[in-house]
Order: sequence, then C-alpha cells, then structure tokens
Amino acid sequence: MFPLDCLRAGESADVIDVHGEANWVCRMAELGIRSGSRIQMLQEGTTCLLQVGGCKLCLRSDASSQIMVAPVANSHPVHS
Amino acid sequence: MGLPITIALVGNPNTGKSTLFNALTGLNQRVGNYSGVTVEMKKGTMSLSATESHEIIDLPGTYSLAPRSLDEMVSVDLLLGHLNDVKRPDVIVSIVDASNLERHFYLTTQLMELGRPVVVAVNMMDVAKTQGIQIDLAKLRETTGLPIIPIQANRKQGLDELKKAVVAAVGSSPPKPVLFPSLFGDEVKRLADLTNNTVEQFLIARWLLDVGGHTEKQLSIKFPPEVSVAVGQARDRLTDAKLGVPGVEARTRYGWIRERVGQAVKRPAQRVRTFSDRLDSVLIHRVWGTLIFFVLMFALFQSIFVGAAPLMDLINSGKDWLATRLDNLMDPGPFRSLLRDGILKGVGGVLVFLPQILILFAVVAILEDCGYMARAAFLMDKIMSKCGLNGKSFIPLLSSVACAVPGIMATRTIENRRDRFATILVAPLMSCSARLPLYFLLIGTFLSEPWWLPGVVLFGMYLLGFVTAPLIALLLKRTVLRGETPVFVMEMPSFKMPQFTTVLRRMIEAGWAFVYRAGTMILASMILIWALLYFPNKMPDGRSYDVALDTLKTDLEQMPKNDEKVEQTEETKANDEAREAKQGEIGSLAGDWQRQSYLGRAGLALEPVFAPLGWDWKIGMAALASFPAREVVVGTLGIIYNQGEVDSGEIKDSKNPGDTPLGKTIKEEWSENPVTGKYRVAVAVSLLVFFALCCQCVSTLAVIWRETKSWRWPLFTFVYMTTLAYAGALIAFQVGRQLIG
Repeated sequence: MFPLDCLRAGESADVIDVHGEANWVCRMAELGIRSGSRIQMLQEGTTCLLQVGGCKLCLRSDASSQIMVAPVANSHPVHS
Repeated sequence: MGLPITIALVGNPNTGKSTLFNALTGLNQRVGNYSGVTVEMKKGTMSLSATESHEIIDLPGTYSLAPRSLDEMVSVDLLLGHLNDVKRPDVIVSIVDASNLERHFYLTTQLMELGRPVVVAVNMMDVAKTQGIQIDLAKLRETTGLPIIPIQANRKQGLDELKKAVVAAVGSSPPKPVLFPSLFGDEVKRLADLTNNTVEQFLIARWLLDVGGHTEKQLSIKFPPEVSVAVGQARDRLTDAKLGVPGVEARTRYGWIRERVGQAVKRPAQRVRTFSDRLDSVLIHRVWGTLIFFVLMFALFQSIFVGAAPLMDLINSGKDWLATRLDNLMDPGPFRSLLRDGILKGVGGVLVFLPQILILFAVVAILEDCGYMARAAFLMDKIMSKCGLNGKSFIPLLSSVACAVPGIMATRTIENRRDRFATILVAPLMSCSARLPLYFLLIGTFLSEPWWLPGVVLFGMYLLGFVTAPLIALLLKRTVLRGETPVFVMEMPSFKMPQFTTVLRRMIEAGWAFVYRAGTMILASMILIWALLYFPNKMPDGRSYDVALDTLKTDLEQMPKNDEKVEQTEETKANDEAREAKQGEIGSLAGDWQRQSYLGRAGLALEPVFAPLGWDWKIGMAALASFPAREVVVGTLGIIYNQGEVDSGEIKDSKNPGDTPLGKTIKEEWSENPVTGKYRVAVAVSLLVFFALCCQCVSTLAVIWRETKSWRWPLFTFVYMTTLAYAGALIAFQVGRQLIG
C-alpha cells in the first residue's frame, strides 16, 4: 500500500483509503474514488489524470488529503 | 391531461443535460431568476401536442445533493418546493451517462429521497457501446424499480419515449429510497422529533451527513442550540457503531448501486482504448499539449483578424453611405452633428466589431463544446496552483476572455471563499471582447506588417492578462486573502463533436448582448461625449463652428480636382496645392473647435497626467471617457479624429483587414505630433497596455459588488487595476521610446 502519487502512468490500483477532511472524502466518493474502487493512472505529476470507472478525473491533492492505493498485479507502466 | 406539470432536469456536469434541455424545449426557454439568489437556472416549455405543454427547469449540473454552497442549496430548495415563486416539481428527470452508470446513479439515489417520481434518462448509449459496455435496460428497470429511458440527446433520439414516461409518472408514488442502516434511520427520526417534524427528513439527514455543509449552517440557526448538540451526539454514536459520517452515505449508496445497477451492466475485461483516449495522449501531453494549446490560441486570434475583414468592410461602407446621405439631406447644425458624429460614427464605430466578436464566441463555444476547455484547465492547473489557485479558477478566467461578467459568475463553482474572491478580483484583467475593438484598431493601424505580427500582438495582449492575473492572484493570496492552495479535482469529459445549434446559440446570445449594449449604455455615453465635444459651438466672430466647417468643405468640393491619369502640369500642381491648403484650413478649424470644447478644455488641463504615457489630450480624453464602458473608446476616437475629416470614402482602398478609415486618420494625426510622432508605435502599445489592464466597465464592478456582497471589493478592484494600468502604460511608453530612439 502506498500513496497515489507513487503510482506510475499506466499502472492500475485499488483504493484502500481516502484520508482527509470530511468534505473532501465526501466529494471524492461522489466522483467515484472511495475504498474499493479501481483506478488507473493515465498521467502522473503534481496534477495527475486518473481513469475512474468510465471517466477521467484530474486531481491534485495536498499532503493532508491523501489517497492510499494497492497496485494491481499485471499492470505495467507505459514506456513512452 | 389537466394542469401543466413542472419537470426538474437534474444530472452531473457533462452528461448532456443542456443538450437534452435544448432538444426538449427548442427555442422556448429563458433564464429564470430566483428570489434573492442569482443562480442561473433555465426554464423552458416542452410541448407534447398543440394543446398540451409543460414547464421544464434545468438545474445547474451537480455531483450530489449535499449542498456545500448557497447555489447548491437553491437547487435542493427548488426540488423540495421551498422557493416562493416556483412550483415544486411534479417529476424529476435524472439524466445519467451510460458509460458511467454506477457513478451517475449516486445522484439518482439522492433524488429518489425527495418524495417525487423520478424518471431516469440514460444518455450517450452510443459512447457506452463504443467502449464495449452492455446495459441490460430491462434488468435495470426491474432492480431499481425506476422508469429507465435510453436517449441520444444530441441526435434527438428517445425524446418521445421520455416525454411519455414523464407524463405517465405524474402522480405515481415516489420511488422507494435506498435503505440506510437502521441505526442511521433511528437517529434521523430522533432529530426530526426534536425539530417537531417541521423539516423534511431529507434535510435532517443532510444535516447529519454533511459536516460543515450548507444545511447545517441554515438549520443550526433556525433551531435552539440543543438540536445542534444533539446532531453532534448522533454523529458520535454513529461513529461508535462504525457508521460514521460522511463515509456511511457513500458506502450505503454504492452498496445499493453495486447490487442493483452493477448487475445490469457488463464491462469488457480490458478497457477499450477510444479515439478520445488517443487524442488525449497528445493533447494533454506536457510538451505537445502545451505547444498545441499555444498554437490553437494563436490560430484563434489570427482567424478573428482574417475572417472578419470582408464583413467589417461591408459595415464600414454602409456607415459611410449613411453619413453621406445625412450630409446631403440635412443642414449643418447640432442635430445633424449628433446623428452623424455622435450616433452613426460613435455607435457605428463600435458595431463594426460585431463580426469579430461573433467569430471569437463561435471558436470559444466550439472549444468548450468539444471538451477542449477541460484539457486546457488541466494543462494550466500546475501554473495556477503555483499562484495559490487551481484549475477550476482557470475556466472562469478563460470565460472572461469573452466577458468578465459571466466569468465572475462562473466562479460560483469554487467552494473556498478566499479562492473564489481571488479569482473574481483578477478576472477583469483577462482581455474581454469589449477590448477587441481598440486592439483591432491600433494593431491594424500601427502593427499590421509583416503578416504574422497582428496575430502575435493580439495574442500578446491576451497573454498580458493571462500572466498578470495569476501574479495578482498570488499577491492577493499572500496578503488580503491569505490561505492554503486548494486541492483540485475535476472531471474530464470525453471529446465529442461540437453541436452546431449550441455554437449558434452562443453566437446569437453574445451578438445580441453586444448590440444591446451598443444601443443603450454605449449610445448614452456617445451622446454625452459628443455633446461635451460639440459645445460650446460659437467661434470668436459669432458664427458656429459646424456652419463654418461646412462652408469650407463645400468650397473644397467645388475646387477643380485632378484626374489621376492625366499627366502632371503646372495647372494640376496648382490645383493640388490649393486643395491641400483648403484641407489644412479645415483641419485647423476643426482643431480649434475641439480645443475650446468642454471635453477639450478638460483634456488640455489634464494633459500633464497623460504626457508620461505618451498621450496627447485627445487620447487621454478618449481613455477617460471609456471608464463606464471601454468599447466607447473607439467611438470617441472616431468623433475626435473624424470631425475634420473630408471624405472617408477616399481612403478605403487598403488591402489590410485591420486598416479602417479611422485607423488611417489616427495614423496621420499621430505621425504629425511634434513630440510623440516619432514614437507613435510606442504610444499605440502604451494605450493597448492601459486598456488591457484597466477596469473600464461598470457592469463588471456591479457584478463584483453583487457576488461579494460588499462595496469594498469592487472599489479595491477599480483602484488596483487603474493603478496597474497607468504603471503598465508608463513602462510600455518609456521603454518603447528608448528602443525606438
């Protein structure tokens, strides 16, 4: 299990925990990021792009609101 | 059917909600204003047959009914029938995206708790299909117990079925809401008892669930403090039972969704890589994406210049034709001068820029409708975050490129007050379409060669706003609006073909707003400026200036004119000289008249203030007169520089699209100025910079006042922008002078 920003482009992971202020956790859940959901990193960086279900989400979080994920086997980073 | 019914249209952003609304209502729609709040909700009429029509309300796109802001609270109030002037909706249409049913059903499950029938419209079935997603609609109807109608809003498919389902749902029993854990239900009931059941259970549940939310803010002052304490205790008990808020809501709703919706949806094991994905891999690429962004912006500004030229010529010739008509029909006097110089030249001079504004809005609407704007926000988030803002602030700023008023209103999606205020205060720095007329005039006149320069300079003017706004925001966030950089989350919609009707609608709205402004505010300003420049109208010898000018012009017309094809002789030379002398006489008389007019006297007195910027009193007066509405500057320049003009028809043979008759006159006059003539390009740039940075718009200040609910912020905006504009223009001229000299 590690923070979302350690996920490389192309890798998929399962969300283990969304940590932070209640409002932010709630907003994340509405957008489909909650413990148990499968996400894929499309573009890494300070502002990253995630594939969540059928949609893409841009996300930039700070130190206090972290998303912890567990990588899914068989997903490889894209080499570009 | 009996009475007309009211239908509320609710859905996540980017579900095609507006497209559906437009398809259902056609042209029968208007923006509804609701008591006290200025949230934009559209109302429309949907006709079923010749005799039967119903009202539809299009609510702002939202991900949930947990109200975090005043605007979201208005949506909830409307749905519950708490707004005075709106009937409680009889049916709620929940529009969901077929390619992401699970997430969109989150909002639907909340809508099911409002005690009204819910009809689900599943949009974008084709997108789901291309992604290999299969939806068993019959099963979905069975598991959720809701009427489910597949539609394709952009192709107007399934609309009849949807209308039928809506009408059929009227009066039917509301859906069974998602069952929360019994302990949670008990707490809600207990709190409802404490409030003597004066508030809907839906709101009580929201109070309990949304810590620090808007329901809490509203209800905690409505009831004695004991109730708030009880809410806190209830939250503690729920946490102890491992049902803590807000987690319990997401878990319960998604549990229900997984069970009911998940069953009806089959996804491919491997996500299909769509065209949109492939496009994104280039468009949001850190290097290529940024490069494409800048190329696109340059193309946008260049296309405005080139595309509008023929139409502008047409409007110009029409204006000249009318002016000649007026001259022939009427005797010189204040009334003719008011019609010809004040209204026709002033307002007409502004209206000439309508084609450009239409093109700008068309391109912006296309970029927005196809989904590119969200990519731009993503690309820009990194820079915005360095200034203490986020990508969400970028969209209001980008909208301000069209007009700051809707841009400022678009900041309502920013939840944090400080970030919202910082965005509001810098939004007027973005170059809006009202600045375009002056940009075109000056760039077309002074910076039109070589071919790429106009596009680059225009882009530069926009860039000035794009660079200054974040810097000022940074300064504000470090001082008066100190606070942390907000987190940023935004959905990126799939690319789609922009819809012609949407683009056309935006163009018509913008065009009409521009023409309306020209016909009211600008017309009034122009008449005032004309009067200040016309009076007093008595020459020292008692004659009036315009009669004297007219006599001179008639003299000039009657003087022998040379045929260009004829070879030069002594006679033609003498003719030329005589004509030139006469024109000089006209020019100096017109100059005398202006200098002794009220506006001229004020301008001459203020000239020392403008001198460091390279401006003479004429430019200074035009700038000062533009404080109510900046478009006025072009009209004012038109009045000031055209009074001595002989025949604008003569100078229309130019091939340069930006080169207008007014431009030519300005160029001649500025070149003749003994002090700044040599630096006329620097003067032009100084004026451009001033207008780019100055807050010359009463409407913007009014909307800032309305949105911040304080007169301090508009005053602050006005003062800082005017100071900034003066400093910017000063630097531009002084540096430019050094470079030229």
